[in-house]
Parts: sequence; structure tokens; C-alpha cells
Amino acid sequence: MAKADSEAMDRIYVKEMEVSQMKRRMFSVLVCTTMLASLFGAAAVKAEGVELNVVTTFAGEDSNAKNYQAGLAGWEEETGNTVNDNSATSDETFKTTVVSDFEMDAEPDVLFFFTGADANSFIEAGKVLSIEDIRAEYPDYAANIDDGKLPVSIVDGKAYAVPTNGYWEAMFVNTKVLAEAGVEMPGADYSWDQFLADCEKIKEAGFAPVAAALGNIPHYWWEYAIFNNEETLAAHTVIPAADAADAWVAGMEDIKAMYEAGCFPENTLSATDDETFQLFVQDKAAFLLDGSWKVGGIVGACQSDPDDISTLDTEALDKFDVTFVPSRGRARKASDLIGGFSMGYYITAKAWEDPEKKEAAVSFVNYMTSDDMIVKFAQHSANPLKEAPEVDADALNGLQVKAIDFATQVTSYTGAVQDIFQGECRVPTFDGMPSIVTGDVAAADAVAEGFAIYAESQAE
Amino acid sequence: MGSNIYKNKRPLIFFLLPAFLFMIIYLYYPFFRNILNSFQKISMLGTSAKGFNEPWYQNYVEMLTDRNMQTALKNTLIMMLVTIVFQVGIAILLAVLVDNIRVGQRFFRTVYFFPIVISATALGLLFNLIFLYNKGMLNQLLERFGRDTLMDWKAKSVALATMMVPVVWQYIGFYFVILVTGLNNIPEELYESAAIDGATRAQRVRFITLPLLRNVICTCVVLGVTGSLKVFDLPWVMFPKGMPQNSTWLTGTYMYYHTMETKNVDYGSAIAVVIVALGIVTSKVVNTVFREKEY
Repeated sequence: MAKADSEAMDRIYVKEMEVSQMKRRMFSVLVCTTMLASLFGAAAVKAEGVELNVVTTFAGEDSNAKNYQAGLAGWEEETGNTVNDNSATSDETFKTTVVSDFEMDAEPDVLFFFTGADANSFIEAGKVLSIEDIRAEYPDYAANIDDGKLPVSIVDGKAYAVPTNGYWEAMFVNTKVLAEAGVEMPGADYSWDQFLADCEKIKEAGFAPVAAALGNIPHYWWEYAIFNNEETLAAHTVIPAADAADAWVAGMEDIKAMYEAGCFPENTLSATDDETFQLFVQDKAAFLLDGSWKVGGIVGACQSDPDDISTLDTEALDKFDVTFVPSRGRARKASDLIGGFSMGYYITAKAWEDPEKKEAAVSFVNYMTSDDMIVKFAQHSANPLKEAPEVDADALNGLQVKAIDFATQVTSYTGAVQDIFQGECRVPTFDGMPSIVTGDVAAADAVAEGFAIYAESQAE
Repeated sequence: MGSNIYKNKRPLIFFLLPAFLFMIIYLYYPFFRNILNSFQKISMLGTSAKGFNEPWYQNYVEMLTDRNMQTALKNTLIMMLVTIVFQVGIAILLAVLVDNIRVGQRFFRTVYFFPIVISATALGLLFNLIFLYNKGMLNQLLERFGRDTLMDWKAKSVALATMMVPVVWQYIGFYFVILVTGLNNIPEELYESAAIDGATRAQRVRFITLPLLRNVICTCVVLGVTGSLKVFDLPWVMFPKGMPQNSTWLTGTYMYYHTMETKNVDYGSAIAVVIVALGIVTSKVVNTVFREKEY
């Protein structure tokens, strides 16, 4: 009996083992089938289009971030290709990351980047295609762009990047603060002395005259302070010899004088740019020196929902205007601005040498720089088109209309010297600005240190 | 036969090898490479070196006269002390208090541990709003209490304290959980015996809890001190580039600044070597001072 039970148990056990093995086999077959199906599925998806790796600065607070995303989606839909977008807000870390990616052969296929000194290393290494080389094979490449507006590289004078829009740097004004302080709206003849006198009045009325975070983003004042002291406008686009940098030292001294006169907010050395911008939009500061892209930021600040333009408070926006930057009375007039075309789309050699990606990259740049797209991107700023279509004023907000009107009074645009003065050279006067204005470091010493780094980098 | 397979240790090597190779490739090779980099000229991350510095130890000499590096070392040292005194200190206090309550222990454990699960970047942004000059939370509170001028919580005179408060606050929960676990391992009978002998609650903490928690506290102190050398994210979000006026540099933030912002990669590498050296020395000192005891 016991033996029979034992045999029966063995049979049950063997049967269970067989069932178990069968289940395992079925499971294995199922897994293999699924893996193969997904493999072929992936291949099938891949066969539909090419995936482009794209890096741009159209991200975060950038006023064109939404236009870019819309354009990207449109191109994907039209071509069946896909974009692996790694766009990020532009700052020094972003620039370093892009340049490092080139060094490590991890560059994207298409890049929207600066055309100044920041691009030197990958242009020198032959890692991006010149527009001339691309047109040799694709004659229609950027054919709608005015060649005279293509920014050229300081490495070899060739054009590599296709711009979407120009920029200018000017002084935004909170007219409500000006009115309360009893200061008139500055015009095209705005002088430095008048500006300092206005700042004094604004300060006495209990406002911060200039919204700027010198410890964070001194770039704009740095640029104009030097520009104001140049002997000629053209001199501003050339790096002077270290012993002939008087305009640079004088510029830094001017910012120091402004700081000492209390032109900046009390926390200018400890605040971030975002914080001082808030002072401006919250009627606590009168002037804001910034780029044409800041129009989007100001408009956004006047919307209850920054993502929904229909929530724009037009009354709040009406108090903002844009005007000229005070002149020192030397070569530069108040209506001579910093501006031009300083960024654009590059196609990398990596994409060019990949037969699958080459055509897609050309198609992508052509799509993103088509007339329609450029009109959307340029908005109130200059566009690089050969034949610019009429701007539909009804589609613009009040500040954009003022900006377009303002731009018609500009007498000249000069490129920013900081674009050809590499990042590390700017450190002693950018990051060192708080030390300069507080007197910890002499302006001449900080400028000399920057020039020494520049000389070393040129020697290499 | 079956038991013999456990005597043969050779197969274990196959399981240890992948992790070992991973460590060699991704930790030790970069580490030694970094030491070499600190003697070379490297102007951009990812670029090859343009020869050796002249003299090859130039970065280390420069560091001796670099005022920002001195500030970073001083601040990091302060951060270590603050970590020991406040982070671990407050964690001990909270752990003992929570251990002594009858209801709500789990609630408080969750509450105090919660900051750990929030990313340091998010916390940095949060504290930026709290300390905001123009109508930040603290300034609004001060306004309610009658102050008519705004306080700049990020001014040079108070910046270091403003930076350390959230760093300390963030990690208290981490040490709190370690200490609570240690407290749970103390037998209840000891407390009962002490209570029968007439020991007050404070005496029980003083003569039972703290001595038996000593080894756990030592571990917390070692973790805190070595961790403070590596603090980066939260201070960088709140005080980028040593703002204001280079007063808030820490060794971690200063290393990042040179590597990523000024593109002086070899100097950044030299700072990284100093951080490692400091880590080894301080953990050795802390281990010696707070040596664990066998009970």
C-alpha cells in the first residue's frame, strides 16, 4: 500500500514536472517571440524616418521656445523623421557642454549656437560644414537668406550658421516709475550726465534706477560701458592690444561710478538676474538694459498665465517701453546700438558624413529657416530674409509694436565684443565685477588679467 | 559532493569581477587620470592636454595664494563643524524625543525624513523664494512684525549662514533615521531596570541612550564630515559662482566653477585631488577621535 502510494506520488510529481517544463518552454517561446517582434517593430519604425540629434538654445524662458517646439513638430509630421531634442537655456555651462561634446565626438547632428569666439574650436577642427560647402551639393540651402546677413566666423571669414533672427540690446523702461519720479522718457540724444541725473531723481523717489544683478549678469552694462568709451564704432569689434585697452578700463570705471552713485538695486551683488528683473516688472526699478529677446519675458510677466497669451494684461504691458542707451559723447551716439545676427543653425560633419542623416539635417535647417518660420522667430527683431514679408501688426502685442518703431530710429548696429572675447577671458571682469565695483580689485588689473588670458589662448 | 561546491571559492571571482572591472574603469582610472590632469594644461572639458604645466605642480602652488580657494577651504571647514554640531546634534535630539513619545512615532519619522526625498535643486529653488529680497517669505514675515526695510539674506555678511541653514535642514532627517534605528536596538529592559532604580527620564537618556548610541553617532559624524566636503547642488542653486563677492565658495562648488565655467580644467582637477586628500585626512581624524567602542 505504502509502495503503491509512493509510486502514485512519483507519477504525480513527474507529471507536475512535465507540466512545469512545458509552461517554462511556452514562456520562453513567448518571451523570444515578443523580443523578436519588438526588434522587427523597432526596425520597422526606424525605417520610416531618421532620428536627428538637435541641440538649440530655444528652451526654458526663451521667447522662441514655443515657436521652436511647434516648428519641430511640424517638420516631424511633414517628413516622418524624428528629433531627439536636447535644447537647453543658454549660459556658460551650456556653451562648455556643447564645445566639450564636439571634443568628445558626441556632437549633435544639427546645432543652433553662437557664431562668435565660442564656435572657434569646432570650426577650427572642421566639425561643422560651411554654408558654401553645403550649397555645393544642395544649392537651395538657405536660399531665402540674405547672404550679407549671414554671420561669418572669426576663424576663416566663412559663414557656417543660418540665422533665424537678429537681436539688439537696448534699455527697457518702466514708464510708471519714471512718471512717479518725475523723469522724462529718454530719447535718441540721451547723454550720460542726463542719465546719472535721472538716476539720482529716481533714487530719491524711492525706486532702484537700474535693474541689474552685477554679481550675476553684468554682461549688458559691461558691453555698453566699453562701447561708450571707444574712439570709433568699428574699434568695438576688435580686441585691442593689452596696453591700448583704455576704453575697457574706462568702461569698468563707469560701472563702478554707477554702483557708487547707487544706480543699482541694494542687493545687486547678491541677487540673480531673475530677481532684479522682478524689481523692474513690479514697478520698483526704472531701467533694464537687456536684449530684444527680453520683450517676451516682459510680456510673459504681464500675463496671469505665462503660457497663455490670452491672459495678457495689456494695461500692465502699456507701462513698458524701450529706448536708447545713454551715450558718453564719444564715437557712439545713444542711437548706435549693439546688435546684429550672432546665432544660427550649424550642420555638423558627423551628420553630413552619415548618408541617412545628411538629407534630413539639410531638410530640418531649411524647414526651420523658411520664410514662415523666420517671421515667427524674428517677431519684433530684425530678420535675415532676402525678401521680408510684411509684418502683421495685429498679431503683435503693444511692446512689440513699440520695439519695431524704436528699431526704425536706430542709427547703427555693432556686434558685441564679448562674442569674440572667449569665455575664460571674460571671467576677471564678468565674475569679477563685484570686486571691481566694490574696489577690491582695480578695474585696470581686472582688465589686464582678462587680456593676459586672451593672449595666452591666442598663443596656443 | 553537494557540500563541496561551497568549499570551492573560485566561482565567486566571476561574480566579483564585473563590479571590480566597473570600479576600475569608472572610478579608479578616472581618479588616477585626474591626478595626472592636475599637472597638465587642459583648457576645455574633453580636450586633450597641451603638455605639462610649468612647473608641473603650478596649480598646487597657485592654490596656496588663491583667495577663493582659501575661502572655499574655510567655508568647507565651517560646514563640517556645522554638520557635526547642528545636523547630527539636532538629529540626536529629535531621535531621542521621538523615541520617548508613545503615539505618533511613525508620523514624526516620516515628517523629519521627508526633506531627503526632495531633490537638492528643488530645495534650493524653494529656499531662494524663502530668502528672496523682494517680498520673499522671511521678509514678508519681518514686514508683518513692523520692519520697514527689506533684509538682504544673501548679503555678504549673512550669506554663509543663509546657505548652511537649508543644507543642515535637508540632511537632519537622514541622520535622524539612522539614529532612530540605533535607538530601537537598545533593549527595553535596560530602561525598565533604570526606572525601577529610580532613574529619571533625563538620566536614562544620559546614562543609557547616549552611551549605547555612541557607535551610531560616530558613523553619523563620519558620514556628515565626508559628506560636507562634497556638498554642491543646493549651494550652487542658491549661490552660484560663490555669490556674493566670492564669499560662499565651497570646495565642491569651486571645483565645478573652474571645470565648467572658467574652462580651467586642470585647476579644477587639482581642486578635486585636494578634496579627495581632505576627505581621507578628515575621515581618518574623525575616526580616530570618535573611535567606535566594543561593549
